[in-house]
Amino acid sequence: MIVDKKKMKVVNNITPSVDGKGLMQGRSYYTDDLADQNSLVIKILRSPHAFAHIKKIDVSKAQALNGVELVLTYKDVPHVSFSRAGQGYPEPSPHDKFILDEYVRYVGDEVAMVAAINEQIAEDALKLIEVEYEVLEPVLDFEKAYENKTIIHPEDGIKEMFPIGFDPKKNVAAAYEMHVGDVEKELANSDVVVDETFYSQAQAHAMIETHSSNARLDEHNRLVIYSSTQTPFHMRRIMATTLGLPVSQIRFIKPRVGGGFGGKQAFHGEMFCALTTLRTGKPSKLVYTREEVFGASYTRHPMRIQMRIGANKDGTITAIDCRSLSDTGAYGEHSLTVFMIVGSKVLPLYNKVKAVRFGGKVVYTNHVSAGAYRGYGAIQGNYALEATIDVLAEKLGMDPKELRAKNSMREKETSPIFEIMGEGTKGTAMIMESCKLPYCIKRGAELIEWDKKYPRVKVSETKVRGYGMAIAMQGSGIPFMDMGSATIKLNDGGSYMVTVGATDIGQGSDTIISQIVAETLQTTVDKVIIYSSDTDLTPFDCGAYASSTTYISGNAAWNAALKMRERLINEAAAYLGVKSSSVEFDGKEFVSGNKKVSLNDLSVLWLYNKDQHQVSVTESYIGHVSPPPFMAAYAEVEVDLETGEYEVLNYVTVTDCGTTINPMLARGQVEGGIVQGLGMACFEDVKYDTKGNLLSNNFLNYHIPTHKEVHKLTTEFADSYEPTGPFGAKSVGEIGIDTPPAVICNAIYNATGVRIHKLPITPEKILKGLKELKK
Amino acid sequence: MKIKEYYRASSLEEAYSKLQEDPSNALVAGGLWIKKVNQNHNTLIDLSTLGLNKISEKSDAVEVGALVTLRDFESSPIVNSLYGGAIAFAIREIMGVNFRNLATIGGSIMGRYPFSDVITGLLPYDVTLEFYPKSSMTLEEYLNYKGKLNAILTKVIIKKEEGKGFYKKVKTTALDFPILNIAVSKVSNKFSIAVGARPMTGALAHKAMDLLNNKKVISDKDIEEASELVSKELMFLDNKDASKEYRLDLAKVYVKRGLKEVSK
Amino acid sequence: MKVTFYLNNTLVSYDVEPGEYLAQTLRKHGVKSIKVGCNESTCGSCTLLLDDKPVMSCSVLTASIEGKKVTTVEGIQQEAAKIASYFSKEGADQCGFCNVGYALVIYQLKKDYKNPTDEEIKNYIVGNLCRCSGLQSQMNAIKAYLKEGK
Repeated sequence: MIVDKKKMKVVNNITPSVDGKGLMQGRSYYTDDLADQNSLVIKILRSPHAFAHIKKIDVSKAQALNGVELVLTYKDVPHVSFSRAGQGYPEPSPHDKFILDEYVRYVGDEVAMVAAINEQIAEDALKLIEVEYEVLEPVLDFEKAYENKTIIHPEDGIKEMFPIGFDPKKNVAAAYEMHVGDVEKELANSDVVVDETFYSQAQAHAMIETHSSNARLDEHNRLVIYSSTQTPFHMRRIMATTLGLPVSQIRFIKPRVGGGFGGKQAFHGEMFCALTTLRTGKPSKLVYTREEVFGASYTRHPMRIQMRIGANKDGTITAIDCRSLSDTGAYGEHSLTVFMIVGSKVLPLYNKVKAVRFGGKVVYTNHVSAGAYRGYGAIQGNYALEATIDVLAEKLGMDPKELRAKNSMREKETSPIFEIMGEGTKGTAMIMESCKLPYCIKRGAELIEWDKKYPRVKVSETKVRGYGMAIAMQGSGIPFMDMGSATIKLNDGGSYMVTVGATDIGQGSDTIISQIVAETLQTTVDKVIIYSSDTDLTPFDCGAYASSTTYISGNAAWNAALKMRERLINEAAAYLGVKSSSVEFDGKEFVSGNKKVSLNDLSVLWLYNKDQHQVSVTESYIGHVSPPPFMAAYAEVEVDLETGEYEVLNYVTVTDCGTTINPMLARGQVEGGIVQGLGMACFEDVKYDTKGNLLSNNFLNYHIPTHKEVHKLTTEFADSYEPTGPFGAKSVGEIGIDTPPAVICNAIYNATGVRIHKLPITPEKILKGLKELKK
Repeated sequence: MKIKEYYRASSLEEAYSKLQEDPSNALVAGGLWIKKVNQNHNTLIDLSTLGLNKISEKSDAVEVGALVTLRDFESSPIVNSLYGGAIAFAIREIMGVNFRNLATIGGSIMGRYPFSDVITGLLPYDVTLEFYPKSSMTLEEYLNYKGKLNAILTKVIIKKEEGKGFYKKVKTTALDFPILNIAVSKVSNKFSIAVGARPMTGALAHKAMDLLNNKKVISDKDIEEASELVSKELMFLDNKDASKEYRLDLAKVYVKRGLKEVSK
Repeated sequence: MKVTFYLNNTLVSYDVEPGEYLAQTLRKHGVKSIKVGCNESTCGSCTLLLDDKPVMSCSVLTASIEGKKVTTVEGIQQEAAKIASYFSKEGADQCGFCNVGYALVIYQLKKDYKNPTDEEIKNYIVGNLCRCSGLQSQMNAIKAYLKEGK
């Protein structure tokens, strides 16, 4: 259904977020705010070794400490392998994790759990646990992991749910290969071939609310868990399977979530709360310290990506070959899905090639585990591809903007990659029904004055400004896999209660779903009461990941609202004694000829006076395609040639995400993504010592951007309409993060002649490069 | 962190004698470092009621109580009038207001932290520390003092003179410890150069200073030579934040820039 | 030990451990608006006003605030609502976890400065981390709020 944007009154209009005021006023609706006051406090004993076997563990002294209620080691928990990743079923990640295990595989891995009446006693008890380790040789270099003599997962009982290339005896969590055409032949026939290898680091999510969960038994003795999670329904399923409980005995509630970015698409402590409460009968809670978030949750997958690109002299790109190696750390959460995105949401940008090949491995190391993180795989792939495209442009003597415009995806085109590559499985063929990439490239160039300033402008003897660009694409949910649903119920007074499984983690999905429902039912957002998400009370939703919420959950809400509208008209027609087709409904009144009745009156009548019944509808949506949002990004950087220090003076983006359901929230998603991407490009570095200890485990040693690093963001949207999206919308949650590494890399090169192949792009690396150029 | 007693001292004598009672007893200034280090203390000694939180202007000096917060210090008009505001600028580079409202000038100095912007920022100037029991030494003497000083810092006295200063904190983001910090001053025609976070605590580069201060007129070549000398006389090392080589490059560039700036 | 102080203009007296921190004390006594993001004075989300000065309450020893005045967001509800509307207009509100800290810092900034420059604003708020917003929208919202009524 195509809706005229000009007629939209709520969607695509400025609407304040539904929870903004309450949260600013300090309403207490985050996970730990809702913990039972008498909760047992859970603390985890963590491994001091990167790889070790627990030979002996004695918890008797800890157990004897006054105030300690429960101590658990691997001997006390179900020995059932699972994946912490909150993904669809069957999971495309290996089941290679136990709640507690006799092996510990990174510094920070769980050794034992203590629950005590307060935090101090729990911490004291940890110190009383005596562990004898057999320290094993760790693998700390992911380029040496494959077929290393150290096998990180030698244990029995781990498995893949379907073939994903899982080969633990070779330290391989997953592997993948694909090709279209004959890449070697096409490269050999190309006039120009470039070959570049890039390294990207293990970025930390650094959401401000740390991982938190708490549990209690309800009056039916069911387990009720509040969790700061992006995927409450997946959590319930995985917990039920792993603990051997019926799904009906578990309730997961996601209250307000203080940021996720993929970091909360997994188990981080919920199993321990569940076990503590089930075994003691008492409420319990576990709040990660900041150090635990850095050192014992997970990070972005570090990768090495080699790009070989061929082109003809006229600037036609002929073939792309992408080889990749990904470091999943100690466990394989999201190993295959993130890996495949390096190809599937990056390489189709240049869809006119004669041949394309992608493949490689995801290997285990004894580092903090890697997992889902906003832009998963796409940001790593984009850095390698888009920096290599600039190398190619220089070799061809072409403006990189023109090279991109000539070869990139356009509306009504497709790429064979879509059909071949999905997420862990085969993909889905699709045509780009909306793609304003040519406009985005052109408009972005105007905004940064590319034609006047590219490649550089000299500011002084020691300062120069450089200009760089990149383009990007993402997806909108995972087709035929991820489902969202919404229930709408009519209240007396004519307001609507909307319950959705869609997981608002701060991105504002409660607001945009309210807008979609209000627009469809021709009412205002204040008449829509939204509640998300609770496995007891709200219908199913896969959760907030893979840029799915606006598109998948938004479509579900739209379907439900359309159904509600139809129901209301039918029932009003019956009340008025007329045909449904004769009834006009303007959101307030039902009119047929000279007969009319208000929604307000009917809503009261139906509950209290006449033909009493509850009007409610539930609808679901499953994507059949995953329409990509597109973006062109440009940056202006000023570099100090004597020190390598630089500042990003302006970051320009033009985004095609279809209709912006909420223009301000869409801007927030794009700009929030860009600044996180800039963090990865410029500052954020995960550092280990030679023993595998994480050094960057706090905000003083892991540097996320602050107000002083953000100078100017210029954010625009293309006028676009995606026919399969709710009111023409595509996703916008991840696309913003994809471009900064490549854009900053290209801008620094254009300013200085130094190309940085390893993130982050630090002043020290730039100065080193400048000194080498002088030699 | 376990604390048995929180003791509000009503005089310096009391605080001092309490401090002697147990080696684990400690003074609380802003309380930030105590939290970071997370050790057990028998008694924490609170000095907040002893009037150590005042800044007062004397004819030839500014006296800063040891418990003056970094925020009160950097926003004080008196401090901002010193050396073209160079000292205030250095302190303003430390974290945000909600941190600087806790951290104190005394706590920052007494810890002799390698990353300290307070120490490097003050070093090029005539700064004297006053202690209880009564004694005093210059900031540089304190930095060179071996072992833990068994005394309570009461006042930081900054001499008021005509002059200019330059300060640079090289950092990754605004909430970072410095990769290197460089302070340069020209006071009464004498140059002074301090470099910290090398990654060791700030220190004065005396040889470079002497080279400059023994000349009547300073040429670009002298500045070049002085900046080379700084990199030779002070020790620079690698750590996870930067290599020794990069620190040396930064020191040369910023000492040069600083000298040019204060010579203007 | 007993510590007595003014919490949003009401005199309260709490029994605390000598090594207890203010964020912990207040959350224990039901002031859940205090959000702890790092518990090591680096993120700013636990910011409150102590004698009208923004401080990170995770690092203030409760024992040290005898007789002082503590303002949490409960004490500035109307201003917080106003600040929220500016954040909303600029698309600066997302997960909300850092927002209470921002509300208190910005509220005090407005009292401390007449017409702050961008640099002065950034120097004041830089200790408050936000991972969601992209930060520019927050700056725009803050500037609009500071101009209001002036």
